[in-house]
Amino acid sequence: MARTGFSDSKPLLDLHKKVDERRAPLRTWANACGPIDRWQPVDVDESRMAPVKLEPERRWERRLSLQTKEGIIMGFHEDSRAHSADGCVEEPVLLYPHGLQGLHSLQALVPSLLRHEVEMALEKLGLIWDRTYAWDVFLDMMRTQTWNALPTADLPRHFTDATRAVLVDWLIQVHETMHFQEETLYLAIHLLNCSLRQIKVTTANLQLLGMVCLFLAAKKEECLLPEVSGLCYLMDHTYTKHQLLRLERKVLCGLKFDLSYCPPLHFLLLLASIARCSAKVVWMARYLLELSLLEGQCVVFLPVHLAGAALCLSRQVLQEPPTPEGESAWCLASSVHVGSETALLRIIHILTNAAAKAHTRETCATFIKFSSPETMHVSRHPGLKKISALLGICT
Amino acid sequence: MAHATSIQYEPVAEIGGGAYGTVYKARDTESGQFVALKSVRVQTDQNGLPISTVREVALLRRLEQFDHPNVVRLMDVCATQRSDQETKVTLVFEHVDQDLKTYLERAPAPGLSPGRIKDLMRQLLCGLTFLHSNRVMHRDLKPENILVTSQGQVKLADFGLARIYSCHMALTPVVVTLWYRPPEVLLQSSYATPVDIWSTGCIFAEMFRRKPLFCGESEVDQLGKIFEVIGLPPEDEWPTDVTLSRKNFPPLMPRPIADFVSEITEQGAQLLLNMLTFDPLKRISALNALEHPYFQDEETLTQTKS
Ligand SMILES: Nc1ncnc2c1ncn2[C@@H]1O[C@H](COP(=O)(O)OP(=O)(O)OP(=O)(O)O)[C@@H](O)[C@H]1O
Ligand SMILES: [Mg+2]
Repeated sequence: MARTGFSDSKPLLDLHKKVDERRAPLRTWANACGPIDRWQPVDVDESRMAPVKLEPERRWERRLSLQTKEGIIMGFHEDSRAHSADGCVEEPVLLYPHGLQGLHSLQALVPSLLRHEVEMALEKLGLIWDRTYAWDVFLDMMRTQTWNALPTADLPRHFTDATRAVLVDWLIQVHETMHFQEETLYLAIHLLNCSLRQIKVTTANLQLLGMVCLFLAAKKEECLLPEVSGLCYLMDHTYTKHQLLRLERKVLCGLKFDLSYCPPLHFLLLLASIARCSAKVVWMARYLLELSLLEGQCVVFLPVHLAGAALCLSRQVLQEPPTPEGESAWCLASSVHVGSETALLRIIHILTNAAAKAHTRETCATFIKFSSPETMHVSRHPGLKKISALLGICT
Repeated sequence: MAHATSIQYEPVAEIGGGAYGTVYKARDTESGQFVALKSVRVQTDQNGLPISTVREVALLRRLEQFDHPNVVRLMDVCATQRSDQETKVTLVFEHVDQDLKTYLERAPAPGLSPGRIKDLMRQLLCGLTFLHSNRVMHRDLKPENILVTSQGQVKLADFGLARIYSCHMALTPVVVTLWYRPPEVLLQSSYATPVDIWSTGCIFAEMFRRKPLFCGESEVDQLGKIFEVIGLPPEDEWPTDVTLSRKNFPPLMPRPIADFVSEITEQGAQLLLNMLTFDPLKRISALNALEHPYFQDEETLTQTKS
């Protein structure tokens, strides 16, 4: 999987078109897909297909000049009609509940530019084998991720978010010593989140559960597996091999072998690739996204929203000088989660808070990991403190 | 866990002994529903369940979440330890009344109506399109592995299992029928999703014939039977990475498919030949097969009828 930054900044394909021409179909698509319950693949409401009048220039100007709390979300279409007034988070644009039948009619509505960009990005990231299935893979990603968000952030009574964070921090360190893929970490934490709620474990066995989840994630993602005895050694032989393997079976049965997960990291790389983000923006976003693993409240959000929020915040923090190409590419990327501003704002708030406190916390494995030269020292970037001051978060 | 499974699912009858194990009909004591239990014995070592099993079962679970109408429901999965070296993985499927083999046998005298065949084929191809677009090959399509509900709904069964087994069952002398195998598998060349299309073609023909199309007794005999119908393929289509030479076969010309499958319409015969194409790269895909005129004309038919 692509682990490199995204310095590649090829120009958009149809830059010769006027800005409005490029944007109009996106709005059309977003509105047409709308929220899940209104989406009828067969007879699409005419009004939802009609392009909405846009005033893109003014909006984008505002986003660039303002550095207020609002400024952060200006990158998203604030006038989204799909957005409900009660602050309820809308379903993402690509959801359709009627299975594959919806697919063909949906395809007709998607602007070819975004589709092309998604296909190219997926190919570049090595997430597909065959370009002909690229769009299907993307639709699957959008759909399957909805199974990955948990209904509530509540933990069983004897666990707290703080205990969970300590465990996750430890797993991040183990993951790093094992030189596993990043996907493995995201999957492991996802399995941990699910199994904490699915099977009964005592506080004494919490560490073992974490290790089993990492082990199972490795079985799913890695080519080289660590020895179980090595894992026991990492836990100071607190548990026996036998205990570990017994819990492995228990977790697999508890989860009914469901190890599928669409990691937010893939969405992050996909969005960053479409948006032509700089390597530094991508590293910063990766840092912020990894911080989300420590936050118990983040389990309720969709992976695409976590990724979108991390990228959005990263851009705000780094304040790179805007270019017209960069802005329209970003606009295109943002169209993937039009209508989810409330969720994005909430995540941005959580992440800003987490980043501001990261260096002072006991759980600072991620902070240290992303302070290295290879990661462009992003976790120590002064912009992170500034942004939290802007959001009114005390450090 | 072993305890829990045996309590929740109460065996009712043995459904069938396949090459790899026994399938049981059981009753789910919680819901009262009937289920089909299928167990795989997996060798475990120092590192617990093998990667291949974990990945394959996870894939089945993932497909399950799409809730496709033409794929049999996988309701539960369980792993129970039998000994230090062996774990039993039990897959719990919804129970379906009959397989396609039984369905064909039970059909009254003249056989299935052309409309019924078309409907079955359409469902079969829908299920296959779904599997293939998810990068899953069935690899063992045959009437026994296709289930048909009493309402006539087709449900693919047994997919993906082939790979779970094959990793651990290398020692069992497996007798799997050759009749639905495509030439590239018989020739031991590389293969991909077109294998399933070949098998589907054989099954398509069988629905009309009510007996299998190619009943070979060995790999070479099977190929010979195939060439008697589709003719010996040209030299340039013969795969280069195989040991069996084209010269071992007599230079046969293709025979009209209607000689073997009577009562098939012209469109149907055309689709059948597209499926029974020697070169896997030229064989029709499941998705394209669904768009074949054979399926289109029925829509206009039913529309004019109603
Ligand atoms: N979900 C199910 N509901 C009802 N019957 C089933 C179900 N699954 C399998 N069967 C029946 O059990 C029979 C034997 O099982 P099956 O063929 O799946 O075994 P197998 O080990 O896969 O063997 P093979 O690979 O040779 O087909 C099938 O032919 C089918 O009739
Ligand atoms: Mg079978």
